[in-house]
Amino acid sequence: MKYKKITPWLFLIPTLLGLVFFRLGPMLAAGLASFTRWNVFSPPKWIGLGNYIELFSSGTFRMILKNTLIFSGLFVPGVMIAALFLALLVNNRLRGMTFFRGLFYLPVITSVVSIGVIWSWILSPRFGLLYQLVSKFFNIARLPSFLGQPEYALYTLIFVYVWKMAGYQMILFLAGLQNIPQVYYEAATIDGASIWQKFRYITLPLLTPTTFFVLIISIIMSLKTFELTYIMTQGGPNYASTTLIYSIYVNAFKHFRMGYASAMSYILFIIVAVFTYLNFKYKKRWVHYSE
Amino acid sequence: MSLGRKIILYTILIAISFTTLFPFLWMFSSSFKTMGEIFSLTPSFIPDNIFAEGMWNNYKSILQEYNFLRFIFNSFVVAGLAALGQLFTCSLGGFAFARMEFRFKEVIFALMLATMMIPIQVTIIPEYFIMLKLNWYNTYLPLIVPSMLIGSFGTFLLRSTFENMPSSMEEAAFIDGVNDWQMFYMVFLPNAKPALASLFIIAFMNNWNALLRPVIYIDKPDLYTITMGLAMFKGNYGTQWHLLLAGSVLSILPLLFIYMSMQKYFVRGMLTSGTKG
Repeated sequence: MKYKKITPWLFLIPTLLGLVFFRLGPMLAAGLASFTRWNVFSPPKWIGLGNYIELFSSGTFRMILKNTLIFSGLFVPGVMIAALFLALLVNNRLRGMTFFRGLFYLPVITSVVSIGVIWSWILSPRFGLLYQLVSKFFNIARLPSFLGQPEYALYTLIFVYVWKMAGYQMILFLAGLQNIPQVYYEAATIDGASIWQKFRYITLPLLTPTTFFVLIISIIMSLKTFELTYIMTQGGPNYASTTLIYSIYVNAFKHFRMGYASAMSYILFIIVAVFTYLNFKYKKRWVHYSE
Repeated sequence: MSLGRKIILYTILIAISFTTLFPFLWMFSSSFKTMGEIFSLTPSFIPDNIFAEGMWNNYKSILQEYNFLRFIFNSFVVAGLAALGQLFTCSLGGFAFARMEFRFKEVIFALMLATMMIPIQVTIIPEYFIMLKLNWYNTYLPLIVPSMLIGSFGTFLLRSTFENMPSSMEEAAFIDGVNDWQMFYMVFLPNAKPALASLFIIAFMNNWNALLRPVIYIDKPDLYTITMGLAMFKGNYGTQWHLLLAGSVLSILPLLFIYMSMQKYFVRGMLTSGTKG
């Protein structure tokens, strides 16, 4: 009773086509392209490490890397703390909890573009909702332009993205919380542990595998944030909110510097690859920790 | 649980619900307002023209004059076909990985998982040239084909679904003399309906919301997806908030209906992508 030898290969045709033509092939090609000077209109010219040298000696690129670091550095803890808080909250057995979970998840399914529209409007200077409310209740004559001023634009994007994505990480944490055996809590209650002690000595340690996974997912998510920048700031004002992933798009499809953009995409690729590798390597050990 | 604790919990829950819902509700109510009303210095939650003459003006205008009806149609075609395509690719691939033995199985599967997290921006430049060479620029195809063929998450989801089905099912069917295709299509696939539903919804949602590929591959307004149409509208007529907000509501509604009617599949699918990805 066996399948024919050829069957798995026939079944895998679409998967392999996708893997070869839209993943592995382009990955290799992008690596090669990163060593060339190449716009769309003339054939690529080999320039060795030229693009990488240009990147690392460019002040703009250093600023872009710094922005990327700030974005990830604030988004990741922000979204994780918000999500863990939400997960602990909706893990309580109360009437109507399914409703609240569904509701907190709502921004996740909504497109980034419409979220960007909503928040651009709320935050738009003078006529935006926030400005109107603030001027109504507090006597503040002028608020800064949160999207139009370079010192605020990036942080505004981070805030909006945490607001949008927290529901996703919440679901992941919730699954982790529900895997913690109830008996530990019961035993701790008998020993007279406080809510904080239970959280500190039971929930947090036993949640470690989940937390680690959520950390990796959140880091990669932060590095992939393109749509929100596109719709809310277009990377501006003056590169203030341009991150690596947005810069790849601009250089490739606005300036048509394909080689240069490929070099950037490779830097991004290496960063993501490191985190993917860490995930694969440490996942088993963390999982053992809980069992 | 004590009554006091219950009250505190509900208070927090309601406060957070408000933070989540308020931007949406405000957008919804404002999508009926006239431009003058939106820019009024004393904003009101209830639009003046509600249930009155001209209530639907913004929606009529954005759907007809600004072609959003067409964009919605395009999005349904693109997201629907890409999601169906992913069901095809992933169920076949997942079945092969789950139930069959073949050379390089582990290597192929590992490669698929390893490349799952890599952002499309890494592969988009070579992909762009493939699309130019194939003459697919300004067609639906670049929005559908790569997405339907790269289904690492879906393949993973269906592999575990098929792996968890009993071997007795397989053995009995072999004795009955089914061929390999029938085994897949008639014996296993009907039992995977919940996983297929999860995958369809998630793939549909991702493609509905996608922005990068439409922006790169489409510059004919007739082919814009709703997401791209909305982004373009914001770029061109960014101050016409009354229309922009109506367009934004339209881009959310279809997903909202799907989400509300099939919430359990959404969450189940996301969980698989989360805990096992």
